[in-house]
Amino acid sequence: MSAGDFVSEVSGIAGRWIKKTLRRPPFLFFSLVQPIVWFVLFTQAFSSISNIRTPIGNGQFLTFKDFSGTDSYLTFFSAAVIIQTVLASAMQSGVGFVTDMESGFLDKLKVAPIHRSSILLGKLLSDGARILLQTLVIILLAFALGVGIATGIVGLILVFALALAFGIAWSGISTFIALTTKNSESTLMISLLTTFPLLFLSTAVMPKPLLQTWIQNVAIYNPISYIADGLHGLIISPGLDWSVVGFSFLVIAVVGFITLSATTAMFQRTVSA
Amino acid sequence: MTDNIIEVTDLVKVYDPDVRAVDKISFQVRRGEVFGFLGPNGAGKTTTIKVLTTLIRKTGGTAFVDGISVEQDPASIREIIGYAAQEVGIDDDLTGRENLRLQCILYHVPRANAELRIAELLKTIDLEEAADRRAGTYSGGMRKRLDLAMALIPHPKLLFLDEPTTGLDPQNRVAVWEYIQELNQQGMTIFLTTQYMEEADRLADRLSIIDHGRIVAEGTPASLKASIGADVVSLSFKPNGHENSREAAKAALARVPGIKEIQEVDGGVAIYAQDAPALVPQIVLALNDAHLEIRELTLTHPTLDDVFMKYTGRKMRVEEVTPKGRTPWGARRRRAM
Repeated sequence: MSAGDFVSEVSGIAGRWIKKTLRRPPFLFFSLVQPIVWFVLFTQAFSSISNIRTPIGNGQFLTFKDFSGTDSYLTFFSAAVIIQTVLASAMQSGVGFVTDMESGFLDKLKVAPIHRSSILLGKLLSDGARILLQTLVIILLAFALGVGIATGIVGLILVFALALAFGIAWSGISTFIALTTKNSESTLMISLLTTFPLLFLSTAVMPKPLLQTWIQNVAIYNPISYIADGLHGLIISPGLDWSVVGFSFLVIAVVGFITLSATTAMFQRTVSA
Repeated sequence: MTDNIIEVTDLVKVYDPDVRAVDKISFQVRRGEVFGFLGPNGAGKTTTIKVLTTLIRKTGGTAFVDGISVEQDPASIREIIGYAAQEVGIDDDLTGRENLRLQCILYHVPRANAELRIAELLKTIDLEEAADRRAGTYSGGMRKRLDLAMALIPHPKLLFLDEPTTGLDPQNRVAVWEYIQELNQQGMTIFLTTQYMEEADRLADRLSIIDHGRIVAEGTPASLKASIGADVVSLSFKPNGHENSREAAKAALARVPGIKEIQEVDGGVAIYAQDAPALVPQIVLALNDAHLEIRELTLTHPTLDDVFMKYTGRKMRVEEVTPKGRTPWGARRRRAM
């Protein structure tokens, strides 16, 4: 089996998943309708958040802008939409494996003379491609609503890179759950149960000083906070702060290392059973 | 290189916690033959296939495919086999053609040959018209045929078919049978499992009858049926003066050579003989000489049903395949055995 075979196997398998994704109506919902709902309804309902003033004595106030760097909640919230979409999308990644186990397609892949790692790699690559596409939709929507990326084209590329890396790292969790439970309902349920707490117990939807103290304490340990900080930095603050973005990538790398190692181990167990 | 493409000795597979799906079976499959595994659901047919196709690990014994140990070099085995599972493994979101294309990639069929090979197979399995429709829209028979075509993409030396016609209507079943015979005539060795007596009888050169994880009988369909002992000729007579026509018949038939046993049954006698068709004229003549008038004569060959009954003491019950429902909450899928 040559290296060329490996590349064609991986791309063949990734291509299959991408085709499947594009042909399924839920994908359109999750990647188009849901971000619109989040953007439009959420930011409209909560737009007065940006009018928040916190008294600091002597009749002085700190405004939302002092905490977040922007006076538009819509701009602040676009990072949350990216995170929410990527999180929801990544959390469904594992379901595909369950479907393949149930339909017998995984057996078909397992009896084929391929590198078994291409099964997992092809899937993860397709997850990455899907997440990039969904991020693109959100960015275009954000532009249409008047949100700009303060750090320019480099910042824009970094937003995509963050979303991609974050998405693949999180796909690992979902795939691990799927391979362990071998049940699509459980996988989806765990995904639903974790997405919202992770999002709301982080700095994604509200600047940290405005969160309740206990949430602030939780948010420190929530990796989503650091990804949100990175995205906020890129979208809101002119002048690239590499230390913040770098830290986001570091957190993702740590999370990704854990989830992808666990997934790989579980995958090997599944295919060699 | 031996004459046997599959050699299995004392194969054991135990599933957690303590299900002995396959319990010390041994058999050989010769190159170029159609070998059948006949048995009811849960007999261990699929488990055996999964060990041989390197999908699961055996618990004990040895298994060689084309001289290669399933444990030592599963990758080389995968290069030479094709496998169509009992549960059709096709992708419903892809078209029939796309499914075959993906299979070409997985089996490293050069791109230049792939389209030709796909067109050829689509024609053979009569799916040309539906080729560019999503497989999800296919009927059961079409899905089964597409799955078979996928197994054939690599031109395998050895083809595993796990219940190739289960769930098919009679018309599709016969089409698949003819196709399997054609493949075999082209030189492909075929290992198939079935729960249909008729299928085993028609396709298999040799077969093993498997029940509760054990092989209970093996041989050619003809030799297995012969092991039942005999054909059966059933006779009944017109009442024409004989007080006891059955006794008279027994006396008359005693002179016919080749009859193994004569049994009095309701309304007449049953004659067991090795080659009954050849004996029928003599039987009729002997009865005529004794002035017995035959009302009815039936000649039956033993069937594989009789064979199964003889070796297991049970009639083989074929369960119809019911469509798979949704998996209930938290329930793991049961392993198919």
